[in-house]
Amino acid sequence: MNRAVGDNFITYSGMIWLLVAQLVVMLPFAFDLPFWLIPVVLFSAGWRLWVLSGGATQPGSLLKLGLLALGVGGLFLRGLKFPSLEAMSALLLLGFAFKSLEVIQRRDALVVVFIGYFLVALHFLYTQSMLAGLYGVFSLVVLTGALIGVQQTVAEFTAAQNVRFNLKLAGFMLLQCLPLMVVIFIVAPRLQPLWTLPLMTNQAKTGISDHMRPGDIAKLSQLDELAFRVTFKGERPAQDQLYWRGLVLNHFDGREWRQFDEQYDLWQLKQAVARDYAFQPGNIQVQGEPVEYEAVYEKTGQPWLFTLTTALQVDGDVLQAADYRVMAREELQAPLLLKAISYPQAVRDRQLDPFLRQLALQLPENGDVRSRELARHLRDEAGSEQEYIDKVLKRFSDQQFYYTLRPPTLGDSDTIDQFLFESQRGFCAHYAGSFVFLMRAAGIPARVVAGYQGGEWNGQSQYLAIHQYDAHAWAEVWLPDTGWKRVDPTAMIAPERTEQGLEAAVRAEGSFLQDSVFSSHKIAWLNGLRQRLDAVQYGWQRWVLGYDSDAQADFLKSLLGELTVARVAGLAGGVFAVIVLGWLLMLGVAQRHEREALEHQFYRRFCAALAKRGVVREPGQAPGVFALQAEQALPALASEIREFTRLYEGICYAPDGAGHAAIQQLKSLLGKFS
Amino acid sequence: MDKIFIIPSKTGLGLVILILLLFLLGINFQNSLVYAVCFWLIALLLINIFYTQRNLSSLSVTAIGVEPCFAGEKAVVEIALSCPANQRKFALQLAWPGEDLVQVNLAATPAARIKLSHATTQRGRFQPPRIHISTRFPTGLALAWAYVTLDVQGIVYPKPVERIFAQQGKGSTDTAAGGVEIVGGTSDFGGIRAYRPGDAPKHIHWSKYAQTGKLHTKVFVDYSSHDVWLDWNDLPMPGVEVRLSHLCSKVLEYHQAQRQYGLKLPGKTIPPGKGEGHKAQCLRALALFGVKDE
Repeated sequence: MNRAVGDNFITYSGMIWLLVAQLVVMLPFAFDLPFWLIPVVLFSAGWRLWVLSGGATQPGSLLKLGLLALGVGGLFLRGLKFPSLEAMSALLLLGFAFKSLEVIQRRDALVVVFIGYFLVALHFLYTQSMLAGLYGVFSLVVLTGALIGVQQTVAEFTAAQNVRFNLKLAGFMLLQCLPLMVVIFIVAPRLQPLWTLPLMTNQAKTGISDHMRPGDIAKLSQLDELAFRVTFKGERPAQDQLYWRGLVLNHFDGREWRQFDEQYDLWQLKQAVARDYAFQPGNIQVQGEPVEYEAVYEKTGQPWLFTLTTALQVDGDVLQAADYRVMAREELQAPLLLKAISYPQAVRDRQLDPFLRQLALQLPENGDVRSRELARHLRDEAGSEQEYIDKVLKRFSDQQFYYTLRPPTLGDSDTIDQFLFESQRGFCAHYAGSFVFLMRAAGIPARVVAGYQGGEWNGQSQYLAIHQYDAHAWAEVWLPDTGWKRVDPTAMIAPERTEQGLEAAVRAEGSFLQDSVFSSHKIAWLNGLRQRLDAVQYGWQRWVLGYDSDAQADFLKSLLGELTVARVAGLAGGVFAVIVLGWLLMLGVAQRHEREALEHQFYRRFCAALAKRGVVREPGQAPGVFALQAEQALPALASEIREFTRLYEGICYAPDGAGHAAIQQLKSLLGKFS
Repeated sequence: MDKIFIIPSKTGLGLVILILLLFLLGINFQNSLVYAVCFWLIALLLINIFYTQRNLSSLSVTAIGVEPCFAGEKAVVEIALSCPANQRKFALQLAWPGEDLVQVNLAATPAARIKLSHATTQRGRFQPPRIHISTRFPTGLALAWAYVTLDVQGIVYPKPVERIFAQQGKGSTDTAAGGVEIVGGTSDFGGIRAYRPGDAPKHIHWSKYAQTGKLHTKVFVDYSSHDVWLDWNDLPMPGVEVRLSHLCSKVLEYHQAQRQYGLKLPGKTIPPGKGEGHKAQCLRALALFGVKDE
């Protein structure tokens, strides 16, 4: 039961604990980081267990150094950039894996557990889904269990009992910690970042990209991944008015649409937005009812955000540009929350800036001759620019144009001509592109807008979910009276696309999410379940992930009315006191001290009785020795003294065997001495 | 048990540094879940204080006794530990720093008995110092400790060292031939020595008192029968401790040989006898010779 411990070495079961905890922590990284780290851990762990069971010797320091060099070399070869977070986590993981080769002492074990805690947090930089959150909680419990296991140097249970006990205790402790964690989470100040470190070097980009070839959006429409979710403060606009504006594509090179004549990266784009492409709120003439909403964008690895026109008041760390787009300052590595008020009826740019006009009239030098000819012809027929626009749209609806997700492939040149006069089958990108081409050919400033249209309304939880398959492209035309105006040629050919969504528009064709046969969109009861699950995830994003300094201020204001340091401190202090009180009650820390066990009390009385007869026990005299002395002095009571002492020592030495009966016997024997 | 002290351990301080790092990570990447991990660890650090405190509280520590030992050996103190039946205690460390350390759990049963040893140097009474009882359970992030003063005293017998001396014939207690003790070859009167408290008044040498003004005691040597007497006064060597050590070794020797022996010390005479009880009585007399009783 007890053993002297002069060492700080951990037990075999403590070691196994540690290895399990290591594997649990490293598992989720397998999806994001080099997979070969896992065999490295298993190798180190296997060796360690082998050493512990006495089969192998400690690895030499030369071997350890060699392994480490191999590992670091492997990371370099894989093309990780230093310094980046990705490189840091890879190095940490490598060290974490190799550490188990030399864990012998409690100190090493603690280092492993602490790095483990850090890695759990680090993984949240890669993903913040609810599932990842739950797994993180599980990892914390296992790590805390390992921390407890490392403390135990005396084996009390079997290994299985030990696991159960440690996990239960760790889980219970963390559960009791939960309220305090939530309170700190709510009130702890959210500071601005101190420095920036590139997060990931090869981050996958999803969603709408900054250039558009006709086939791109068709590909997106096959994805049922979530793009963003929106909650409206007031009434929800009609479905066919939900045009989520993302990027403006000004430049056409004959094949694809881009934002500008050159391919701008984010830094260049920010430079432009800071100078000649800057947002001019003065050019907006506000009219009509505002729409107030809150959107949470999924991480895409791209900076684009999607808002209704014309977003005026925008909350959050975002940029606005001359084309009235709203975009993030950095590529989204994590979900982003945005609050905005838009005025759909506002008039934009009654006076068109020459630079913007030039952008909106750009066409390739040559090519697409028939289309240019058509534009000239129609423009000559039309009395006004508005009439010309109507004529072009009418041509789309009158002629045999089809809306399809499986358009024929177009060649490399004269794509507009091919589409307008030959295939006449296409997707929103084809219609928007050719429409803008026809406008520009007739001297009317126009541009392609890429974004999303519509969305799936979650009636239960009152929010709109916009998926990748809602991706859409449309056009904006500038006229002197109306400024920039939205025109969606797709709505001419397939009105159900904007009214009911993509699924309805391509129902006859059967091409909606055709690659995912078992999509939950297609099975009714699964669809309901999916929506409910989605609602939970949205709540998670809005209230947990999106809890930034603004959300904190809002929430605390709703609790306290006015935000003062004294009030926040009072709230935090009060709740803290209640929690600690709860802990005290739960743990029974305040309970009274244990009385001395009965057998010791009886023995004390036994000694007192003998003292009256003249045999005094020295303090601390061993009971056996005292009994010998007393037996000699009091021969008449010798057998009772022997029996009492035997009983008492029996109880002391075998506490688990000391039942009620033995204590009673002791008590009755005591009667013979008084 | 006295007051329980509790401080963050080195491990706890390590966790504080980790928490700061996590907080920086949370700030830098504005990541709510990193914050959550960070705050959860803060809460863990705090609640652990109560857990560690509880692991040490309501613990009853009773000294059962100290096995007598010989000077220079380790005195072993037996200690009974118990806690309320509905509680369990883990990884309790009882220690005399630098002397002995025992780790014990009260898990399967609410009581346990341990032995803790302490070096002794001197014969006499042994008062064990207070015990340092500590725990880091469950997580090792905090260290709680308390001191327990044991209401116990042990007896340390003199170190048994036999002296062989040359004057075998005279004054030796060791002739033992035929079991007849010839003490000094004189009469009953053994000599005079300075009075010690506890000497019988009838042995006081009054005429000497009249001469010198100081009390002296007449020492008588019993001639005896077949019993062996271990007599302090027959020992030729000087030094109290040397004599006691010698007598101690003799007691052990006679006890081993199952002989009947008595012990005469200045002021204390133990009539001849044998057996464990007798041995204990003799050794005890040797241990406490000249030690003041409180």
